[in-house]
Amino acid sequence: MEGVSYARMPRVKIRELKDDYAKFELRDTDASIANALRRVMIAEVPTIAIDLVEIEVNSSVLNDEFIAHRLGLIPLTSERAMSMRFSRDCDACDGDGQCEFCSVEFHLRVKCMTDQTLDVSSKDLYSSDHSVVPVDFSDPSNHESSDNRGIIIVKLRRGQELRLRAIARKGIGKDHAKWSPAATVTFMYEPEIHINEDLMETLTLEEKREWVDSSPTRVFEIDPVTQQCSLLNYGFGYALFSAFIGNAIVNSVHNSKLLSLSSSRIISRTNSKEWCLTFIVMVVDAEAYTYDDEVLKKAEAMGKPGLVEIIARQDSFIFTVESTGAIKASQLVLNAIEILKQKLDAVRLSEDTVEADDQFGELGAHMRGG
Amino acid sequence: MEHGSYSDPSKSTFSFGDEDHTFANSVRFSLNQDAIYADEALSLLLSYSPRVSFCGYSIPHPSDNRVNIRVQTTGDPAREVLNDACQDLMLMCQHVRSTFDKAVSDFKKGKTRKGNKDMNVD
Repeated sequence: MEGVSYARMPRVKIRELKDDYAKFELRDTDASIANALRRVMIAEVPTIAIDLVEIEVNSSVLNDEFIAHRLGLIPLTSERAMSMRFSRDCDACDGDGQCEFCSVEFHLRVKCMTDQTLDVSSKDLYSSDHSVVPVDFSDPSNHESSDNRGIIIVKLRRGQELRLRAIARKGIGKDHAKWSPAATVTFMYEPEIHINEDLMETLTLEEKREWVDSSPTRVFEIDPVTQQCSLLNYGFGYALFSAFIGNAIVNSVHNSKLLSLSSSRIISRTNSKEWCLTFIVMVVDAEAYTYDDEVLKKAEAMGKPGLVEIIARQDSFIFTVESTGAIKASQLVLNAIEILKQKLDAVRLSEDTVEADDQFGELGAHMRGG
Repeated sequence: MEHGSYSDPSKSTFSFGDEDHTFANSVRFSLNQDAIYADEALSLLLSYSPRVSFCGYSIPHPSDNRVNIRVQTTGDPAREVLNDACQDLMLMCQHVRSTFDKAVSDFKKGKTRKGNKDMNVD
């Protein structure tokens, strides 16, 4: 495979991983692959959702199809989805798509007996398969939060009743958004920020602060840095400085005297060692940069156009994946890769028919660019 | 479905139903890895034996679920080159998958190790 020899293989590094949220870096690959992954995560990873609703009794204020629509949107835990068959492909049932291999049955039976309004929620849906249940959003560690009532489907008054049977099937986001397992999937180019130190030196502290504050997200910060390294020289005693920007509060231990305070430099002398502090601008969180050019425009407005250079690295992406709870975020990414492989496999193995150009005439000529 | 010519298998257009940018853009990228470059320095590399002279895709109409991928090669049958590009892409997917699995287990190990370290400090 010639392609593989000079294509670098992608690398992955995970930043954050929770049950429904994952943030990871994908490097050494192209935007088309990253986008393909994103599109598959949103639209083509299969999940299970309610698809067919048989209503026996409904005396609530919402009409039948309204409730059926709401039931479809409830996320169900879909670990089984990858191994299930689509209802249309199932040969075990008689074609009505309601057998145990391709579907999961739910039932809901609620009647309001009290004078208080009864909330019918996703917790009242009972499943025939204990591995496919409505997603429970409660935080297990947070016991004092208000009782987690699940997703409210409808509210009932005294005497109103709702009784129904629902069939959940496997599907993909392309068919209907209820089957999409992803809440949001985003990726951004990793920014590379280079600060021109020499040009930065020519700014006063106030100008630096103004420039740092012009960015809507906190990308840069001003930090005091000691330029002499004899801070740790115990033989001469040492002074510990911690300067707060703007206030310039100096705490010092051992003998030291504050000699003068000029706009951005604090000079102090202790035991014949001279120290000097300057404030430098550092990148504190490069990824908070949202590719708005506010800092560049501010630098130009201040008359220092080359102050900072920001490049978007074309082969490095930071993915943020949030799942609805139907599938774990890490499992979502793995399923997406699996689905992409299956698509490629299907193409590779398909027996294509070769249409000779004489059959198409004009169409053939057009396709060939003639 | 392949639209080509019986006499010249090195150029043809592949028409896929039920596919969209997801598939086509990544296959186009994979084909490009194998493409001819005008760079002379690159052509001196021993491993440089490009097979693809042109690759691109188009979607005839956004309402139709169809994508056309055009492949023109330097002599090999276009269908073979496309199959190989799909194969490369599958290998890359497999690599990403195993790398991701490893990254997840590394992350979880790192988390538990950090948890233990905190316990020791306490």
